[in-house]
Amino acid sequence: MELLQAFGVSLQAVWADSGFSAFTMGNGIMILVGLVLLYMAIVKEFEPLLLGPIAFGCVLANFPRTGFFTEPGLMQAIHFGIENEIFPPLIFLGIGAMTDFGPLLARPVTLLLGAAAQIGVFVALVGAMMLGFTVQEAGAIGIIGGADGPTAIYLSIQMAPHLLGAIAVAAYSYMSLVPLIQPPVMKLLTTQKEREVAMEQLRPVTKFERVCFPIVAAIIISLLLPPIASLLGCLMLGNLFRESGVMDRLSDTAQNSLCNIVTIFLATGTGMTMNADDFLQPATLLIIGLGLVAFIAGTAGGVIFGKIMCRVSGWKINPLIGSAGVSAVPMAARVSQVVGMKAKPGNYLLMHAMGPNVAGVIGTAVAAGTMLAMLK
Amino acid sequence: MSHPVTTNPLIIMLINMTVVFLVLMALGVVINLIHYIDPTKPKTAPKEEAPAAPAPVAEPESAAAAPVEEGISPEVVAVIAAAVASMGCAGTVKAIRPVERNNWKNSGRNAIQGRG
Repeated sequence: MELLQAFGVSLQAVWADSGFSAFTMGNGIMILVGLVLLYMAIVKEFEPLLLGPIAFGCVLANFPRTGFFTEPGLMQAIHFGIENEIFPPLIFLGIGAMTDFGPLLARPVTLLLGAAAQIGVFVALVGAMMLGFTVQEAGAIGIIGGADGPTAIYLSIQMAPHLLGAIAVAAYSYMSLVPLIQPPVMKLLTTQKEREVAMEQLRPVTKFERVCFPIVAAIIISLLLPPIASLLGCLMLGNLFRESGVMDRLSDTAQNSLCNIVTIFLATGTGMTMNADDFLQPATLLIIGLGLVAFIAGTAGGVIFGKIMCRVSGWKINPLIGSAGVSAVPMAARVSQVVGMKAKPGNYLLMHAMGPNVAGVIGTAVAAGTMLAMLK
Repeated sequence: MSHPVTTNPLIIMLINMTVVFLVLMALGVVINLIHYIDPTKPKTAPKEEAPAAPAPVAEPESAAAAPVEEGISPEVVAVIAAAVASMGCAGTVKAIRPVERNNWKNSGRNAIQGRG
């Protein structure tokens, strides 16, 4: 009898300590959301390298009583890396090592397309403020339009950490949907004649230019906008690894092993911010809606500025490369290529679109830096 | 968190877009400056001279071709140089030799004939 009683008490204690006793409806819904995201990542292959760990992080975050954020351990270390903006600059180091600035250096005028496409960020900011978000929250939501995951996370942590999960999920989801979102906007805003414009071949870029640019750009931008010095400094350092020709091992590590490791931490940690209390709010739906508006406005801004440059240059610039001004490297450039090829087979726009695409990464970081300086 | 500079969304948009454009334009200037001072860039001078090449081609002909022009008049040299230039070759004609002439063979023949 006593044994049975002890057994019953033990079972009760195990139950009381288990996650089931504290499991809420919200947790269940969020785990379902995580599973849907996992499905999109694995079956639909929407940015699986990012959405996979984000989705699994979301599932993990909704197990009650895990003590992930209160007790020292791996999860707290990952959270520390996110909270203290350690991971986004490390991702930028890898992006810099992977990115060829050549097309941008060969035709620097495409920097303007990268700037024009940032209009999406501020259209979403205006929309968010009209919907009642604070100016800091609106800035963090707007940066979704920059189509740059690390920058979106970097800004959200500093301006609206409670919205990080929704902003990161919206940013990465829409980045994976760029091939669906952009083409209708591009076609709507351009004529057949504009889409058929063939661009001259890019001039060769010397090693001197490739090595000097990241050094000088890091100095100038870091002095102008210190809040983003770590982001752009790492981007340029990574690119210097790549272009110097004497740091191949570092370049290899930055663009492969390190980038993969940091992606695991950043994406899982981002997913773990998606707990039911923060995510299951009406604001989340608004953020996802505003993110779409930001992407469409950014694409439109780039294409419209591309049309202006097309006229000014005497029909030497195809407006379709303007849409690549939203970052999403290199997906947005590929979309320009695909739409251009459909309009005129044999019209290769990929390398031309890489200029505004890379400029978009810098432009989004500059927009984030300006907002941090003005609004934080 | 300190206070924001302004909370008017349109002013924020205007200021931010201006800053983004100015910074990226400054980078554009930097890129052009680096290209301008680049000591390793290929010289553009030969390219500019290329269209004028046909004229200079003919001139050195007479001087360069002088040692080999036995039986080839200056007019023939000029015509050959003009023909080469018209085919798009921007180089300099340094020598004109009849195809069938082979100095080594001739030298050998002369040696054999001289022995006889």
